[in-house]
Amino acid sequence: MLYDISLHMGYLYDTPASGARHILRLLPLSIPDRQRLIAGSVTIAPTAEERSDFIDFFGQQATSIFLRAQHEKLDIRMQARVMVEAAPLTADLSPELKDLAVELAEIRSIDPHAPHHFTGQSPRLPDNAEIAAFARETVKPGRTVREIATLLCARIFKEFKYDAEATTVDTSPAEAFKLKRGVCQDFSHIMIVALRSLGIPAGYVSGFLRTIPPPGKERLEGADAMHAWVRVWCGKSTGYIELDPTNNIPAGTDHIVVGYGRDYADVAPVIGVLKSYGTHRTVQSVDVIPLR
Amino acid sequence: MSVIPVTELDYAAEAVEGDPILGYQALPGVSDEMLDRDGQIRPVWQNLISSLSCMSEGELHERFARADRYLRDAGVFYRSYAGQGSAERAWPISHVPVVIDGKEWEKVSEGLIQRADLLEKIVSDIYGENRLVREGVLPPALIASNPEFLRPLVGIKPSSGYHLHFCSFEIGRGPDGNWWVLADRTQAPSGAGFALENRVATTRAFSDIYGESHVHRLASFFGAFRDALQAQKRYPDDRIAVLTPGPANETYFEHAYIARYLGFMLLEGEDLTVVNNRVMVRTVAGLKPVSVLWRRLDASYADPLELNQNSHIGTPGMVEALRSDAVTIVNGLGSGILETRALLAFTPTICRHLLGEELKLPSIATWWCGQKSERQHVAENIEKMVIGPAYSRAPFFDDNNQSVLGATRKGSKQSVEDWLNAAGGKLVGQEAVTLSTTPAYVNGRLMPRPMSLRVFAARTEKGWQIMPGGFARIGSGDDVAAIAMQAGGSAADVWIVSDRPVEKPSLLPPEESFSRNMPGSLPSRAADNLFWLGRYIERAEGALRILRSWHMRYAESADPKQPLLADVSRYLTGVDIDMVKAVPLPLIRNIDSAIYSASNIRDRFSPDGWLALNDLAKTARRFHEGVQHGDDAAHAMTVLLRKLAGFAGLVHENMYRFTGWRFLSIGRYLERGLHMTRLLGHMSGPDTPDGALDMLLEIGDSVMTHRRRYNVNTARLTVTDLLALDPLNPRSVLFQLNEIRTEVEQLPHPYGTGQMSALDRESMRLHSGLAVMTPEAMTTEVYERLEAEMEKLSDLLAQTYFG
Repeated sequence: MLYDISLHMGYLYDTPASGARHILRLLPLSIPDRQRLIAGSVTIAPTAEERSDFIDFFGQQATSIFLRAQHEKLDIRMQARVMVEAAPLTADLSPELKDLAVELAEIRSIDPHAPHHFTGQSPRLPDNAEIAAFARETVKPGRTVREIATLLCARIFKEFKYDAEATTVDTSPAEAFKLKRGVCQDFSHIMIVALRSLGIPAGYVSGFLRTIPPPGKERLEGADAMHAWVRVWCGKSTGYIELDPTNNIPAGTDHIVVGYGRDYADVAPVIGVLKSYGTHRTVQSVDVIPLR
Repeated sequence: MSVIPVTELDYAAEAVEGDPILGYQALPGVSDEMLDRDGQIRPVWQNLISSLSCMSEGELHERFARADRYLRDAGVFYRSYAGQGSAERAWPISHVPVVIDGKEWEKVSEGLIQRADLLEKIVSDIYGENRLVREGVLPPALIASNPEFLRPLVGIKPSSGYHLHFCSFEIGRGPDGNWWVLADRTQAPSGAGFALENRVATTRAFSDIYGESHVHRLASFFGAFRDALQAQKRYPDDRIAVLTPGPANETYFEHAYIARYLGFMLLEGEDLTVVNNRVMVRTVAGLKPVSVLWRRLDASYADPLELNQNSHIGTPGMVEALRSDAVTIVNGLGSGILETRALLAFTPTICRHLLGEELKLPSIATWWCGQKSERQHVAENIEKMVIGPAYSRAPFFDDNNQSVLGATRKGSKQSVEDWLNAAGGKLVGQEAVTLSTTPAYVNGRLMPRPMSLRVFAARTEKGWQIMPGGFARIGSGDDVAAIAMQAGGSAADVWIVSDRPVEKPSLLPPEESFSRNMPGSLPSRAADNLFWLGRYIERAEGALRILRSWHMRYAESADPKQPLLADVSRYLTGVDIDMVKAVPLPLIRNIDSAIYSASNIRDRFSPDGWLALNDLAKTARRFHEGVQHGDDAAHAMTVLLRKLAGFAGLVHENMYRFTGWRFLSIGRYLERGLHMTRLLGHMSGPDTPDGALDMLLEIGDSVMTHRRRYNVNTARLTVTDLLALDPLNPRSVLFQLNEIRTEVEQLPHPYGTGQMSALDRESMRLHSGLAVMTPEAMTTEVYERLEAEMEKLSDLLAQTYFG
């Protein structure tokens, strides 16, 4: 699929902000055999006094901007043309859960895509006993890692209610789990904590979903903003698969990857520190238009 | 440190026979620093011990008291978070130094230099090539699950070429007499400044013995490190700073001390900003470049944008500055990963792998339970183990009791195997080592106490240098198990003794080559704190003067409804001071605010000034509890005013007359001007109660002057003339405005164009506006406008210099 993607994030400050430093992670990735960024740009208004681009640890293009002078609003726009060709899932060759640890130990690497980064706790995802208990219910002797991950994905889709009002960007997975409600970020976080509690490496994927569904299909949840899903390491031969618990589907050609990380904190589209008194309002819009 | 928690020396006086000094006996089967295996005093201790044995108990105590007095007067403290809240604690000195033979020390130094080199290689591999993981020497999980593995730093080469510049090591001596390393400190090692103060204090007690003992001096170690940091500067005018987490940190004293000792700025993250890939300090003279930071805050707090997003003490853009090679941070961000306890399990292998040699000083035997055979070994030898968190960065005897002796697992329900299997890589087992003992003076005699040494290494232009000395941590009881050090204790100086006379360096330059340096630019935050210190001090004084006059009159009439007393009470309520207690709480809060401002600029204060301020607060609190309205309170106010004058005098007599002084002064003048303006506005009107004008003169300390200058009784116009418009009366409003104008003219112009700044114009306008007034024209409305304009001037000053 070929997509034109455009994103707008606007910030309106109650009192003028100054000395604002932000890091933006918005441009889709190029991933061999999966996704190619044909063209892309990030523009900022007012013009930043300083701007530099760098590649972060997990391989994502990041833009650092500094707006020193006072400004009442900030507009961030991203435009990209992306070719996506996700291969369908093949037969399940993943090991049983009990054999995963041995395969994991054999990976002698801490490269950005090594599964070791996606085990244990991460800044936004501490261990959680309730989620771990929830995860254990899915484990049965003989079940493969991929089966367990797929079942967990389905359970989260079924047992949790999509509710954009119930949570915020700062809601912890423990809170969202208690509420049984939330959005893509919450569902992905819960699924990651569940998988990690079983010893299955799992990471966070930020990205986009196509806005208009193909004819005859329903519009997917999360298409009007940036989306998130989960990446699961299923052993040496399978490597990573990507599952979308918000829609209970594997990530396919409707999913465009922007970044990989351990949790939301690693891939947050915009983070910033600035001087301002009072609050701000935000607006966000996303369009993902398939060209062919 | 982790500083040593203080505990009472709980050693019950035992009936030990013999001389209190020479009767010293080592514990059976334990190495002792002073006595060899045969119970003979080692040669390097001879001089000290024979001198001590000739002293009476009285003389010894007198000498120890000298050391204590030094530490107290120098204001050496650390902050303890034990129990509720935090408190400043005196440095717990153990007065008898530990003496070590210079030849033996050379071996220790050699071992530690090898270790420092090895640690550098490890950290540069972790953030670089990753050979150690790829080649199977280090388990990947140990890095990838490590909270101190700071991913944004991966691939950034430090501009100095090195991650490590200053390390410390905790070492101990085993029963066989050999040293081993208990812990490596690489994040932001503390204690070097305390070691220095410990040395000064100990020499106060034993200057004669020290002088004749060929003890290696510490100054050249610091001098060499200072020079090494100087050499890292990009441009000659760049600043070097000690980056501190702030006054709430347990070793803040040391940060301020080291900055002062080495002549570096003391900065907090908030003082810094990154502009065009350069790290700049915000000063009252504008942004000034800083190119070397000796950080004392944990790396993850250094940048809220790319590291810990919850940090409020960092500098956004710091990692960006590192990426563009604009700053040298010592030690490099991310170096803290080397403190990971589980890493000790791998250092011997890594040493062989990377250096092709054995560790010259062995690490304490450690097994990481993330590996099956190691886990099994720990389980089988559980009784000889200390078990603790694998990713902890604190040594097992200094980690808030998170580590436990394996033997204490006996009798728990869960089997040791299940426990270790469940926790796996989260745990580490370490051999439960014992330490050597050294003599400490306890209950009137020398007693053996376990000790470990903290030793410091600095990267200098000639490679690693080991501080000849350091400090010894002395255990509080006679349990020589290293883990017993959890209970805390005290700290002793360490004397490295040569058989030849030693060099006596000093950090002062030789006299013929002196140059007079003007103090560097004042950081904006320091200026802000100085300004507010001035305001709070003056505000307290103003309130004290009013309260004293009020209580003196109350003592005569005992009727708070009497018109003048009621009127003044109304005034006080208007400035948030209630009269429920004779010494009201808001007054004390005000003094506390002054202390808070002062605490942020401790490096600019003499310890005397600090002690005076704290004494004032303590006295005020005591009065708040016990003092009655009337005479009693009036007297209390006089005492407090005298103490306040004592503080002001210390500052006035001792503070260097430069930019910082000006901000403090402007704060005082402004607050004094406001105080007098408000009072005049309230009390000098036509319908003011009887006696108000006399009271005004009294509050304004101008009774005598008034009598001398005006040949009439107190009248509205004469009082107004003297307290508002007299340019020579140091309490008048005009006097304050004149002083403010003069000081403001001397302030630096941050983005100067040679023109007058808005602040210049405003202070001049305010002064001349009042100077042309006549007493008749001074109405309540004029005072109100004047007050508003002075507040505006304060805001303008803040905008110009503190933003």
